[in-house]
Amino acid sequence: MTDSRKGPPEGTWYAVREAREMDCLPADTEGRNVHRCGQKGAYMKTFRVLKVLLKIRFQNLMMFRLGFWGPFFVDGSLFFIQLVIFDAIYANVEQIGSWGRGEMILYIGTFSLINAVNMTVYFFGVNGIVWKIRSGTMDLYLSKPVSPLFRITFECMNPGSLPLLAFSAAIIAYGLGLADIRVTAGRFLGYLFFLALMIVLYYEMEVIIRSVAFYLVSNARLEQLEEMGLELCMNLPGIAFYGIYKVIFYGILPYGIMATLPVQELTGEMSPGAAAHGIGIVCIFGVITAIVWKRGIRHYNSASS
Amino acid sequence: MRKYREIMRAYLKTQLVWRADVAFHMVFIMSKVLFAWLLWGMIFRERNMVADFTFHGMLSYYIFSSFLSQLEMSKGISGEISARIRNGTISNYIVLPLSMEGYFTAMEAGVVLFYLAFDLAAAVVWVFLFRIEFVFTHSVTVFLCGLLMTVLGLFFMVQLNFFLGILTLKYEEISTFLMIKDNLTALVTGSIVPLALFPEGIVDGMRLLPFYYVTYLPSMLFTGRCREEAVKGIFILGAWCVLMQGAIMITWRKYRIKYDGAGI
Repeated sequence: MTDSRKGPPEGTWYAVREAREMDCLPADTEGRNVHRCGQKGAYMKTFRVLKVLLKIRFQNLMMFRLGFWGPFFVDGSLFFIQLVIFDAIYANVEQIGSWGRGEMILYIGTFSLINAVNMTVYFFGVNGIVWKIRSGTMDLYLSKPVSPLFRITFECMNPGSLPLLAFSAAIIAYGLGLADIRVTAGRFLGYLFFLALMIVLYYEMEVIIRSVAFYLVSNARLEQLEEMGLELCMNLPGIAFYGIYKVIFYGILPYGIMATLPVQELTGEMSPGAAAHGIGIVCIFGVITAIVWKRGIRHYNSASS
Repeated sequence: MRKYREIMRAYLKTQLVWRADVAFHMVFIMSKVLFAWLLWGMIFRERNMVADFTFHGMLSYYIFSSFLSQLEMSKGISGEISARIRNGTISNYIVLPLSMEGYFTAMEAGVVLFYLAFDLAAAVVWVFLFRIEFVFTHSVTVFLCGLLMTVLGLFFMVQLNFFLGILTLKYEEISTFLMIKDNLTALVTGSIVPLALFPEGIVDGMRLLPFYYVTYLPSMLFTGRCREEAVKGIFILGAWCVLMQGAIMITWRKYRIKYDGAGI
């Protein structure tokens, strides 16, 4: 028998029961919530949904202990290799464009930090969108009294990637030391602001690319294109782009600005035009994400699309 | 031998079904050359030589290394074997009246032969598009050594991935390890930056490993460099292939009895 004094047991059934208890709010046909309990109740509900999603995710992840730390080891090795590569390049040259070794390490650390937040919070959820559309399991998300995109975004949070945040912070601290930059409070806040914007942009790009599966049989090529763009821009700071390459990687596949703008803000190289461009791109891609997702949901016809 | 030839032919034909793959495969070569063009273009604006490379010598290296790394498509073998051992369907391969390793080697040969012409065409297109003053070896012997080393390198990577795949019989979950392996392989084969940029001591250490001879040395040979390492490289890579074959045989004999056909 279960001893109630010890609190709820850690089994999945409790999480499921808690999730059922939350289903007090009905959903309209598009999966949006009809708020009855007021604004405070809505926030509480959102928080409870997040808590349950995280709990279920933890129980799932703990089955494979090595797999739990997998994203940390994989992405940690990726950015460590990048550090090694640029160390080898800077052993032969003093500067790449206007950037010295310190600025480049800051760039790698910043990209690593954006990627760390991505891996910890939403990557594994958003990455499952394509499969959910193809297999028809998106039905389960549309029929729940929570926004489907909200649930998809947060249902696969990965605490195993948390050490990546510390790893990225260490790279950034090392880069700051090498670059010999005087960081004022204003610049630091500006850095955090653009970092947050770029995390949102990363999320928007991931959702857009995977939402194409609502309209096409396969979006594998688009995912390959995303992989190619990311791989290129992880190794190449935005300052290297010019002409048509700048149009592509600053506007169409804006991976080129992701770590570049925060670093430029921190080093004081950011121009007002670049700042406006960054904010504008995030807003434009935000609108595109909303349109693609909402139209995609309407286009979705259950078992296949 | 005829059975393996048939498998090779079957996989060669299968590639025709996925035409978009071919186009993207060719674009991926461009992404590596574009990386080199932009990064090294910026660096060479202020200097003429970096680690004995001229700008066009460096780009020629990248053309060869991206061509060779695109040809190396064996990493799917370890994933395929691992997944099938875990879900119990590796029996499909075990019951075939031929060696499983031979099957995957023939499969890889079929895929590589199909993409060879396209990758070559893509490389030529990018040379003209980026207006690269292409640097190429004038020695037929060095060229043949590079060719032989490329074939041995591709075979070694098939062996390595087959070996890692069958390790699932013992370790069950190896996908994390495979992803880390892919990251490291990109570095140690010199497909991101030439290994010549690293300190001499590290390069000396890498010479003992097989990865040095898979992409990096053939690319250097094709661009007319490191000629003195050509013959030695073939012998070292050959020795690694023999060693890896031994490791495969021992591992397969020891752990195949653990497989019960029901999945893990």
